[in-house]
Amino acid sequence: MRDRHIVLAIMMAATLAGAPPVAAQAARGASAGPPAKPYTTRTPWGEPDLQGTFSNRTITPFERPANVNGREYFTPEEVAAMEKRAQAQSGDEGRSKGTRGDVERAYNDFWWDRGTKVTTLRTSLVIDPPDGRVPPQTEATKLRAADEAKRPAFRGAGASGRGVDTWLDRSTFERCITRGMPGAMSPTAYNNNYRITQGPGFVAIQIEMLGGARVIPTDGRPHLRPSMRHWMGDSVGRWDGNTLVVETTNFTDKVLYRGAAENLHLVERFTRVGPDEIDYRVTITDPTTFTRPWTIAIPYVNTGEEMFEYACHEGNYGMEGILSGAREEERKAREQKR
Amino acid sequence: MRLRRLVIVIGAALLLGGAAVSAHHSFAAEFDANAPVQLRGTVVKVEWINPHTWIHIDVRDVDGKTVRWMIEGGTPNTLLRRGLTRTSLPEGTEILVDGYKAKNGTNRANGRDLTFTDGRRLFMGSSGTGAPRDGRDAGER
Repeated sequence: MRDRHIVLAIMMAATLAGAPPVAAQAARGASAGPPAKPYTTRTPWGEPDLQGTFSNRTITPFERPANVNGREYFTPEEVAAMEKRAQAQSGDEGRSKGTRGDVERAYNDFWWDRGTKVTTLRTSLVIDPPDGRVPPQTEATKLRAADEAKRPAFRGAGASGRGVDTWLDRSTFERCITRGMPGAMSPTAYNNNYRITQGPGFVAIQIEMLGGARVIPTDGRPHLRPSMRHWMGDSVGRWDGNTLVVETTNFTDKVLYRGAAENLHLVERFTRVGPDEIDYRVTITDPTTFTRPWTIAIPYVNTGEEMFEYACHEGNYGMEGILSGAREEERKAREQKR
Repeated sequence: MRLRRLVIVIGAALLLGGAAVSAHHSFAAEFDANAPVQLRGTVVKVEWINPHTWIHIDVRDVDGKTVRWMIEGGTPNTLLRRGLTRTSLPEGTEILVDGYKAKNGTNRANGRDLTFTDGRRLFMGSSGTGAPRDGRDAGER
Protein backbone atom coordinates (compact mmCIF):
# COMPACT_ATOMS: atom_id res chain seq x y z
CA MET A 1 0.00 0.00 0.00
CA ARG A 2 2.75 2.36 0.97
CA ASP A 3 4.73 1.37 -2.13
CA ARG A 4 1.75 2.21 -4.27
CA HIS A 5 1.54 5.70 -2.77
CA ILE A 6 5.20 6.26 -3.47
CA VAL A 7 4.76 5.12 -7.06
CA LEU A 8 1.79 7.43 -7.47
CA ALA A 9 3.72 10.33 -6.00
CA ILE A 10 6.61 9.71 -8.39
CA MET A 11 4.21 9.47 -11.31
CA MET A 12 2.51 12.71 -10.29
CA ALA A 13 5.82 14.49 -9.99
CA ALA A 14 6.94 13.14 -13.33
CA THR A 15 3.86 13.95 -15.36
CA LEU A 16 3.62 17.73 -15.32
CA ALA A 17 4.25 17.89 -19.06
CA GLY A 18 1.40 17.01 -21.43
CA ALA A 19 1.53 14.37 -24.17
CA PRO A 20 2.60 15.47 -27.66
CA PRO A 21 0.48 14.21 -30.55
CA VAL A 22 1.16 10.71 -31.97
CA ALA A 23 2.60 11.91 -35.29
CA ALA A 24 5.24 14.01 -33.55
CA GLN A 25 6.14 11.05 -31.32
CA ALA A 26 6.56 8.66 -34.23
CA ALA A 27 8.75 11.10 -36.17
CA ARG A 28 11.13 11.62 -33.26
CA GLY A 29 11.25 7.95 -32.33
CA ALA A 30 12.19 6.88 -35.84
CA SER A 31 15.52 8.73 -35.78
CA ALA A 32 16.70 7.40 -32.40
CA GLY A 33 20.42 6.77 -32.18
CA PRO A 34 23.06 6.29 -34.87
CA PRO A 35 22.30 3.35 -37.19
CA ALA A 36 23.92 -0.01 -36.48
CA LYS A 37 26.69 -1.07 -38.91
CA PRO A 38 25.59 -4.37 -40.40
CA TYR A 39 27.66 -7.51 -40.81
CA THR A 40 25.72 -9.71 -43.13
CA THR A 41 25.58 -13.40 -43.72
CA ARG A 42 22.65 -14.86 -45.62
CA THR A 43 20.37 -17.81 -45.27
CA PRO A 44 20.30 -20.31 -48.17
CA TRP A 45 17.13 -18.58 -49.40
CA GLY A 46 18.84 -15.19 -49.40
CA GLU A 47 17.57 -13.38 -46.33
CA PRO A 48 19.96 -11.82 -43.76
CA ASP A 49 20.90 -14.54 -41.26
CA LEU A 50 20.23 -13.66 -37.63
CA GLN A 51 20.23 -17.24 -36.36
CA GLY A 52 21.97 -18.38 -33.21
CA THR A 53 21.64 -18.55 -29.44
CA PHE A 54 22.16 -15.20 -27.80
CA SER A 55 22.29 -13.71 -24.34
CA ASN A 56 21.44 -10.09 -23.58
CA ARG A 57 22.79 -10.09 -20.03
CA THR A 58 24.82 -7.00 -19.28
CA ILE A 59 25.96 -4.89 -16.37
CA THR A 60 25.35 -1.69 -18.33
CA PRO A 61 22.68 0.24 -16.42
CA PHE A 62 19.20 0.55 -17.93
CA GLU A 63 19.11 4.30 -17.33
CA ARG A 64 22.11 6.62 -17.20
CA PRO A 65 23.43 6.90 -13.66
CA ALA A 66 23.89 10.36 -12.16
CA ASN A 67 27.56 9.81 -11.39
CA VAL A 68 28.70 9.84 -15.05
CA ASN A 69 27.68 13.50 -15.35
CA GLY A 70 25.68 13.01 -18.53
CA ARG A 71 28.48 11.27 -20.47
CA GLU A 72 27.23 8.92 -23.19
CA TYR A 73 30.12 6.45 -22.90
CA PHE A 74 32.07 4.87 -20.08
CA THR A 75 35.84 5.24 -20.02
CA PRO A 76 37.90 2.02 -20.31
CA GLU A 77 38.90 2.51 -16.66
CA GLU A 78 35.28 2.67 -15.58
CA VAL A 79 34.49 -0.46 -17.56
CA ALA A 80 37.40 -2.32 -15.96
CA ALA A 81 36.26 -1.21 -12.50
CA MET A 82 32.64 -2.21 -13.17
CA GLU A 83 33.63 -5.64 -14.44
CA LYS A 84 35.96 -6.19 -11.53
CA ARG A 85 33.20 -5.23 -9.14
CA ALA A 86 30.71 -7.52 -10.90
CA GLN A 87 33.19 -10.39 -10.60
CA ALA A 88 33.70 -9.73 -6.93
CA GLN A 89 30.13 -8.81 -6.13
CA SER A 90 28.89 -10.82 -3.27
CA GLY A 91 25.39 -11.52 -2.21
CA ASP A 92 26.61 -11.00 1.30
CA GLU A 93 28.35 -7.66 0.92
CA GLY A 94 26.23 -5.34 2.96
CA ARG A 95 23.85 -8.15 3.81
CA SER A 96 21.53 -7.15 6.60
CA LYS A 97 19.87 -10.22 7.99
CA GLY A 98 16.23 -10.16 8.97
CA THR A 99 15.26 -7.52 6.42
CA ARG A 100 12.89 -7.67 3.50
CA GLY A 101 15.81 -6.79 1.20
CA ASP A 102 17.77 -9.80 2.37
CA VAL A 103 14.81 -12.10 1.76
CA GLU A 104 14.35 -10.63 -1.72
CA ARG A 105 18.04 -11.25 -2.42
CA ALA A 106 16.76 -14.84 -2.39
CA TYR A 107 19.90 -16.96 -2.61
CA ASN A 108 23.65 -17.17 -3.19
CA ASP A 109 25.22 -15.72 -6.31
CA PHE A 110 25.64 -19.08 -7.99
CA TRP A 111 21.96 -19.11 -8.86
CA TRP A 112 22.06 -15.69 -10.54
CA ASP A 113 23.25 -14.86 -14.04
CA ARG A 114 23.26 -11.10 -14.32
CA GLY A 115 26.50 -11.12 -16.24
CA THR A 116 29.85 -9.67 -15.37
CA LYS A 117 30.61 -7.85 -18.63
CA VAL A 118 29.88 -4.41 -19.98
CA THR A 119 28.49 -5.37 -23.39
CA THR A 120 28.03 -1.82 -24.58
CA LEU A 121 30.24 1.12 -23.65
CA ARG A 122 27.16 3.32 -23.46
CA THR A 123 26.36 4.52 -19.98
CA SER A 124 22.74 3.37 -20.36
CA LEU A 125 20.67 0.93 -22.38
CA VAL A 126 18.25 3.82 -22.98
CA ILE A 127 19.78 5.62 -25.99
CA ASP A 128 16.94 8.03 -26.70
CA PRO A 129 16.04 10.52 -25.21
CA PRO A 130 19.65 11.71 -25.35
CA ASP A 131 19.80 11.99 -21.55
CA GLY A 132 19.59 8.19 -21.34
CA ARG A 133 16.55 8.29 -19.06
CA VAL A 134 13.04 6.93 -19.55
CA PRO A 135 10.85 9.92 -20.45
CA PRO A 136 8.28 11.18 -17.94
CA GLN A 137 4.84 9.63 -17.94
CA THR A 138 1.78 11.55 -19.04
CA GLU A 139 -1.05 13.01 -16.99
CA ALA A 140 -3.29 10.27 -18.41
CA THR A 141 -0.99 7.62 -16.96
CA LYS A 142 -1.29 9.18 -13.55
CA LEU A 143 -5.09 9.11 -13.73
CA ARG A 144 -5.02 5.54 -14.99
CA ALA A 145 -2.73 4.46 -12.15
CA ALA A 146 -5.10 6.04 -9.63
CA ASP A 147 -8.03 4.25 -11.25
CA GLU A 148 -6.05 1.03 -11.33
CA ALA A 149 -5.44 1.25 -7.60
CA LYS A 150 -9.20 0.97 -7.04
CA ARG A 151 -9.72 -1.96 -9.39
CA PRO A 152 -9.10 -5.61 -8.77
CA ALA A 153 -5.65 -6.56 -9.91
CA PHE A 154 -5.11 -8.59 -13.07
CA ARG A 155 -2.33 -6.42 -14.43
CA GLY A 156 1.26 -5.63 -13.84
CA ALA A 157 4.37 -7.42 -15.04
CA GLY A 158 6.40 -6.26 -12.06
CA ALA A 159 7.96 -8.59 -9.53
CA SER A 160 5.61 -8.13 -6.65
CA GLY A 161 2.10 -7.85 -7.98
CA ARG A 162 -0.51 -5.98 -6.01
CA GLY A 163 -2.21 -8.11 -3.42
CA VAL A 164 -2.37 -11.64 -2.08
CA ASP A 165 -6.11 -12.44 -2.21
CA THR A 166 -5.87 -14.55 -5.36
CA TRP A 167 -3.33 -15.56 -7.97
CA LEU A 168 -4.92 -12.90 -10.15
CA ASP A 169 -3.45 -10.33 -7.76
CA ARG A 170 0.05 -11.47 -8.60
CA SER A 171 2.13 -10.28 -11.53
CA THR A 172 2.00 -12.03 -14.87
CA PHE A 173 5.69 -12.86 -14.31
CA GLU A 174 4.93 -14.66 -11.03
CA ARG A 175 2.01 -16.37 -12.72
CA CYS A 176 4.39 -17.82 -15.33
CA ILE A 177 2.51 -16.07 -18.14
CA THR A 178 4.78 -13.37 -19.53
CA ARG A 179 7.07 -10.49 -18.67
CA GLY A 180 5.22 -8.59 -21.39
CA MET A 181 6.86 -6.64 -24.17
CA PRO A 182 9.50 -5.36 -24.42
CA GLY A 183 10.15 -6.81 -20.93
CA ALA A 184 10.55 -10.30 -22.39
CA MET A 185 13.32 -8.99 -24.67
CA SER A 186 15.13 -7.12 -21.87
CA PRO A 187 17.77 -8.55 -19.54
CA THR A 188 16.94 -9.64 -16.01
CA ALA A 189 18.77 -11.53 -13.28
CA TYR A 190 18.96 -14.93 -15.03
CA ASN A 191 17.71 -16.94 -18.04
CA ASN A 192 18.63 -14.11 -20.41
CA ASN A 193 18.81 -16.46 -23.38
CA TYR A 194 17.20 -16.32 -26.80
CA ARG A 195 17.37 -18.63 -29.79
CA ILE A 196 16.64 -17.15 -33.19
CA THR A 197 15.74 -19.48 -36.04
CA GLN A 198 14.52 -18.58 -39.50
CA GLY A 199 12.57 -20.08 -42.35
CA PRO A 200 11.53 -18.39 -45.59
CA GLY A 201 9.10 -15.67 -44.57
CA PHE A 202 9.39 -16.28 -40.81
CA VAL A 203 11.69 -15.46 -37.91
CA ALA A 204 11.17 -17.30 -34.61
CA ILE A 205 12.60 -16.09 -31.31
CA GLN A 206 12.56 -18.63 -28.51
CA ILE A 207 12.73 -16.93 -25.11
CA GLU A 208 14.18 -18.91 -22.21
CA MET A 209 12.68 -16.91 -19.33
CA LEU A 210 9.13 -18.25 -18.87
CA GLY A 211 9.50 -20.15 -22.14
CA GLY A 212 7.57 -19.54 -25.33
CA ALA A 213 8.49 -18.27 -28.74
CA ARG A 214 7.63 -15.29 -30.87
CA VAL A 215 6.89 -16.39 -34.43
CA ILE A 216 7.21 -13.30 -36.60
CA PRO A 217 6.00 -13.35 -40.21
CA THR A 218 8.02 -11.33 -42.73
CA ASP A 219 5.79 -12.16 -45.68
CA GLY A 220 4.04 -8.83 -45.86
CA ARG A 221 0.84 -9.80 -44.09
CA PRO A 222 -1.02 -7.05 -42.21
CA HIS A 223 -1.56 -6.85 -38.44
CA LEU A 224 -4.51 -8.62 -36.86
CA ARG A 225 -7.69 -6.60 -36.65
CA PRO A 226 -7.73 -4.24 -33.63
CA SER A 227 -10.17 -6.41 -31.64
CA MET A 228 -7.60 -9.24 -31.46
CA ARG A 229 -5.41 -8.67 -28.39
CA HIS A 230 -2.40 -10.78 -27.39
CA TRP A 231 -0.30 -11.05 -24.24
CA MET A 232 2.82 -10.45 -26.35
CA GLY A 233 1.07 -8.28 -28.93
CA ASP A 234 0.91 -9.02 -32.64
CA SER A 235 4.31 -8.83 -34.34
CA VAL A 236 4.78 -8.26 -38.06
CA GLY A 237 8.28 -8.15 -39.54
CA ARG A 238 9.96 -6.89 -42.68
CA TRP A 239 13.52 -6.63 -43.93
CA ASP A 240 15.00 -3.14 -44.19
CA GLY A 241 18.29 -3.92 -45.93
CA ASN A 242 20.12 -6.17 -43.49
CA THR A 243 17.93 -5.25 -40.56
CA LEU A 244 14.86 -7.12 -39.38
CA VAL A 245 12.24 -4.53 -38.43
CA VAL A 246 9.40 -5.83 -36.26
CA GLU A 247 6.36 -3.76 -35.48
CA THR A 248 4.23 -4.97 -32.57
CA THR A 249 0.72 -3.76 -31.73
CA ASN A 250 -2.56 -5.33 -30.47
CA PHE A 251 -1.48 -5.69 -26.83
CA THR A 252 -3.93 -6.71 -24.13
CA ASP A 253 -4.77 -4.49 -21.19
CA LYS A 254 -3.62 -7.28 -18.84
CA VAL A 255 0.12 -6.66 -18.90
CA LEU A 256 1.81 -3.47 -17.87
CA TYR A 257 5.16 -2.23 -19.08
CA ARG A 258 6.17 0.80 -17.05
CA GLY A 259 2.56 1.95 -16.96
CA ALA A 260 1.85 1.18 -20.64
CA ALA A 261 -0.48 -1.57 -21.81
CA GLU A 262 -2.94 -1.87 -24.69
CA ASN A 263 -1.76 1.29 -26.47
CA LEU A 264 1.86 0.21 -26.69
CA HIS A 265 3.41 0.42 -30.14
CA LEU A 266 6.84 -1.15 -30.51
CA VAL A 267 9.31 -1.03 -33.36
CA GLU A 268 12.22 -3.42 -32.91
CA ARG A 269 15.31 -3.49 -35.10
CA PHE A 270 17.59 -6.55 -35.20
CA THR A 271 20.89 -6.00 -37.04
CA ARG A 272 23.76 -8.47 -37.06
CA VAL A 273 26.83 -6.30 -36.45
CA GLY A 274 29.43 -9.07 -36.20
CA PRO A 275 29.70 -12.84 -36.34
CA ASP A 276 28.65 -13.05 -32.70
CA GLU A 277 26.51 -10.00 -32.05
CA ILE A 278 23.12 -8.59 -32.89
CA ASP A 279 22.37 -4.95 -32.25
CA TYR A 280 18.84 -5.00 -30.81
CA ARG A 281 16.86 -1.79 -30.53
CA VAL A 282 13.31 -1.15 -29.60
CA THR A 283 11.45 2.13 -29.83
CA ILE A 284 8.55 2.38 -27.41
CA THR A 285 5.69 4.68 -28.34
CA ASP A 286 2.53 5.20 -26.33
CA PRO A 287 1.31 8.80 -26.19
CA THR A 288 -1.22 7.80 -23.54
CA THR A 289 1.61 6.75 -21.23
CA PHE A 290 4.89 8.46 -22.14
CA THR A 291 5.51 12.10 -22.99
CA ARG A 292 7.66 11.03 -25.94
CA PRO A 293 8.87 7.84 -27.67
CA TRP A 294 12.03 6.30 -26.31
CA THR A 295 14.54 3.74 -27.46
CA ILE A 296 16.57 1.02 -25.78
CA ALA A 297 19.61 -0.61 -27.41
CA ILE A 298 20.81 -3.97 -26.05
CA PRO A 299 23.62 -6.10 -27.47
CA TYR A 300 22.55 -9.72 -28.04
CA VAL A 301 25.76 -11.73 -27.82
CA ASN A 302 26.07 -15.21 -29.33
CA THR A 303 26.74 -17.74 -26.60
CA GLY A 304 26.92 -20.94 -28.64
CA GLU A 305 25.26 -22.54 -25.62
CA GLU A 306 22.17 -24.64 -25.23
CA MET A 307 18.74 -23.32 -24.46
CA PHE A 308 16.98 -25.08 -21.61
CA GLU A 309 13.31 -25.53 -20.93
CA TYR A 310 11.75 -23.28 -18.34
CA ALA A 311 8.51 -25.12 -17.68
CA CYS A 312 7.24 -22.70 -15.10
CA HIS A 313 3.67 -23.64 -14.16
CA GLU A 314 4.24 -27.21 -13.04
CA GLY A 315 6.92 -26.24 -10.56
CA ASN A 316 5.54 -22.92 -9.39
CA TYR A 317 5.37 -23.86 -5.69
CA GLY A 318 6.16 -20.20 -5.01
CA MET A 319 2.65 -19.11 -5.96
CA GLU A 320 1.15 -21.63 -3.53
CA GLY A 321 3.62 -20.45 -0.87
CA ILE A 322 2.71 -16.79 -1.37
CA LEU A 323 -1.06 -17.32 -1.17
CA SER A 324 -1.02 -19.88 1.66
CA GLY A 325 1.46 -17.64 3.51
CA ALA A 326 -1.01 -14.76 3.30
CA ARG A 327 -3.85 -16.97 4.60
CA GLU A 328 -1.70 -18.04 7.54
CA GLU A 329 -0.83 -14.42 8.37
CA GLU A 330 -4.53 -13.52 8.26
CA ARG A 331 -5.34 -16.41 10.57
CA LYS A 332 -2.69 -15.26 13.05
CA ALA A 333 -4.02 -11.70 12.90
CA ARG A 334 -7.55 -12.95 13.66
CA GLU A 335 -6.28 -14.94 16.61
CA GLN A 336 -4.45 -11.95 17.99
CA LYS A 337 -7.62 -9.88 17.88
CA ARG A 338 -9.50 -12.39 20.00
CA MET B 1 37.29 -0.49 6.58
CA ARG B 2 33.65 -1.22 7.13
CA LEU B 3 32.73 2.24 5.91
CA ARG B 4 34.82 1.80 2.77
CA ARG B 5 33.05 -1.46 2.04
CA LEU B 6 29.70 0.25 2.46
CA VAL B 7 30.75 3.04 0.09
CA ILE B 8 31.79 0.47 -2.52
CA VAL B 9 28.46 -1.29 -2.19
CA ILE B 10 26.53 1.95 -2.59
CA GLY B 11 28.71 2.93 -5.55
CA ALA B 12 28.08 -0.42 -7.19
CA ALA B 13 24.36 -0.08 -6.57
CA LEU B 14 24.37 3.37 -8.18
CA LEU B 15 26.31 2.13 -11.19
CA LEU B 16 24.06 -0.86 -11.59
CA GLY B 17 21.21 1.63 -11.63
CA GLY B 18 18.05 0.11 -13.01
CA ALA B 19 19.56 -3.32 -13.59
CA ALA B 20 16.93 -5.79 -12.50
CA VAL B 21 17.75 -7.69 -9.37
CA SER B 22 14.72 -9.82 -8.81
CA ALA B 23 13.88 -13.47 -8.80
CA HIS B 24 10.99 -14.94 -10.71
CA HIS B 25 8.69 -14.22 -7.81
CA SER B 26 8.66 -12.16 -4.65
CA PHE B 27 10.58 -13.99 -1.95
CA ALA B 28 9.43 -11.46 0.63
CA ALA B 29 5.82 -12.47 -0.11
CA GLU B 30 6.58 -16.15 0.37
CA PHE B 31 9.10 -16.07 3.22
CA ASP B 32 9.13 -14.18 6.50
CA ALA B 33 11.94 -11.67 7.07
CA ASN B 34 11.15 -11.92 10.79
CA ALA B 35 11.66 -15.67 10.85
CA PRO B 36 15.28 -16.40 9.97
CA VAL B 37 16.20 -20.05 10.28
CA GLN B 38 19.45 -21.97 10.34
CA LEU B 39 19.34 -25.64 9.49
CA ARG B 40 21.86 -28.44 9.25
CA GLY B 41 20.61 -31.43 7.36
CA THR B 42 21.34 -34.16 4.87
CA VAL B 43 20.13 -34.03 1.30
CA VAL B 44 17.26 -36.42 0.60
CA LYS B 45 16.50 -35.30 -2.94
CA VAL B 46 16.70 -32.28 -5.19
CA GLU B 47 13.72 -31.26 -7.30
CA TRP B 48 15.55 -30.04 -10.37
CA ILE B 49 12.61 -28.01 -11.62
CA ASN B 50 11.73 -24.57 -12.88
CA PRO B 51 11.05 -21.88 -11.97
CA HIS B 52 12.86 -22.81 -8.72
CA THR B 53 14.93 -25.73 -7.53
CA TRP B 54 13.84 -27.33 -4.24
CA ILE B 55 16.38 -29.14 -2.07
CA HIS B 56 14.79 -31.58 0.40
CA ILE B 57 16.82 -32.16 3.55
CA ASP B 58 16.37 -34.19 6.72
CA VAL B 59 17.05 -32.15 9.83
CA ARG B 60 17.37 -33.60 13.32
CA ASP B 61 15.46 -31.36 15.71
CA VAL B 62 16.24 -30.70 19.39
CA ASP B 63 14.33 -33.82 20.46
CA GLY B 64 16.38 -35.99 18.14
CA LYS B 65 13.44 -36.39 15.80
CA THR B 66 14.06 -36.17 12.05
CA VAL B 67 12.10 -33.44 10.30
CA ARG B 68 12.05 -32.93 6.55
CA TRP B 69 12.53 -29.43 5.17
CA MET B 70 12.21 -28.06 1.63
CA ILE B 71 14.68 -25.35 0.64
CA GLU B 72 13.99 -23.07 -2.31
CA GLY B 73 16.82 -22.22 -4.70
CA GLY B 74 17.04 -20.59 -8.12
CA THR B 75 16.48 -21.83 -11.65
CA PRO B 76 18.38 -25.00 -12.49
CA ASN B 77 19.04 -23.61 -15.99
CA THR B 78 21.89 -21.43 -14.74
CA LEU B 79 23.54 -24.41 -13.04
CA LEU B 80 23.04 -26.65 -16.09
CA ARG B 81 24.72 -24.07 -18.25
CA ARG B 82 27.69 -24.12 -15.88
CA GLY B 83 28.06 -27.84 -16.25
CA LEU B 84 26.32 -28.87 -13.04
CA THR B 85 23.80 -31.68 -13.16
CA ARG B 86 21.19 -33.37 -11.02
CA THR B 87 23.95 -35.53 -9.56
CA SER B 88 25.98 -32.54 -8.36
CA LEU B 89 24.33 -32.61 -4.93
CA PRO B 90 24.15 -36.30 -4.02
CA GLU B 91 21.77 -37.77 -1.49
CA GLY B 92 23.29 -37.86 1.97
CA THR B 93 25.40 -34.71 1.54
CA GLU B 94 25.35 -32.63 4.71
CA ILE B 95 24.60 -28.96 4.13
CA LEU B 96 23.96 -25.82 6.13
CA VAL B 97 21.04 -23.56 5.30
CA ASP B 98 20.80 -19.96 6.41
CA GLY B 99 17.44 -18.69 5.22
CA TYR B 100 13.95 -17.56 6.10
CA LYS B 101 10.96 -19.70 7.02
CA ALA B 102 7.89 -19.84 4.82
CA LYS B 103 5.02 -17.64 5.96
CA ASN B 104 2.59 -20.54 5.58
CA GLY B 105 4.06 -22.34 8.56
CA THR B 106 5.21 -25.44 6.67
CA ASN B 107 8.76 -26.75 6.87
CA ARG B 108 9.90 -24.69 3.93
CA ALA B 109 12.59 -22.03 3.76
CA ASN B 110 14.55 -20.22 1.14
CA GLY B 111 18.22 -21.11 0.80
CA ARG B 112 19.45 -17.57 1.24
CA ASP B 113 22.91 -18.92 1.98
CA LEU B 114 23.75 -22.55 1.27
CA THR B 115 27.09 -24.02 2.34
CA PHE B 116 28.72 -27.36 2.90
CA THR B 117 29.68 -28.08 6.49
CA ASP B 118 33.29 -27.06 5.77
CA GLY B 119 32.14 -23.58 4.79
CA ARG B 120 32.38 -23.97 1.01
CA ARG B 121 29.49 -22.65 -0.98
CA LEU B 122 27.23 -25.18 -2.61
CA PHE B 123 27.92 -25.65 -6.33
CA MET B 124 31.03 -23.49 -6.04
CA GLY B 125 34.60 -24.65 -5.97
CA SER B 126 33.91 -27.25 -8.62
CA SER B 127 36.50 -25.89 -11.03
CA GLY B 128 35.51 -24.72 -14.45
CA THR B 129 31.87 -24.21 -13.66
CA GLY B 130 32.13 -20.53 -14.40
CA ALA B 131 30.16 -19.76 -11.27
CA PRO B 132 30.67 -16.21 -10.06
CA ARG B 133 33.26 -15.71 -7.38
CA ASP B 134 31.72 -13.99 -4.43
CA GLY B 135 34.50 -14.00 -1.87
CA ARG B 136 32.75 -16.34 0.54
CA ASP B 137 34.15 -19.57 -0.84
CA ALA B 138 37.16 -20.76 1.15
CA GLY B 139 39.02 -21.49 -2.09
CA GLU B 140 38.85 -17.83 -3.09
CA ARG B 141 40.66 -16.47 -0.08
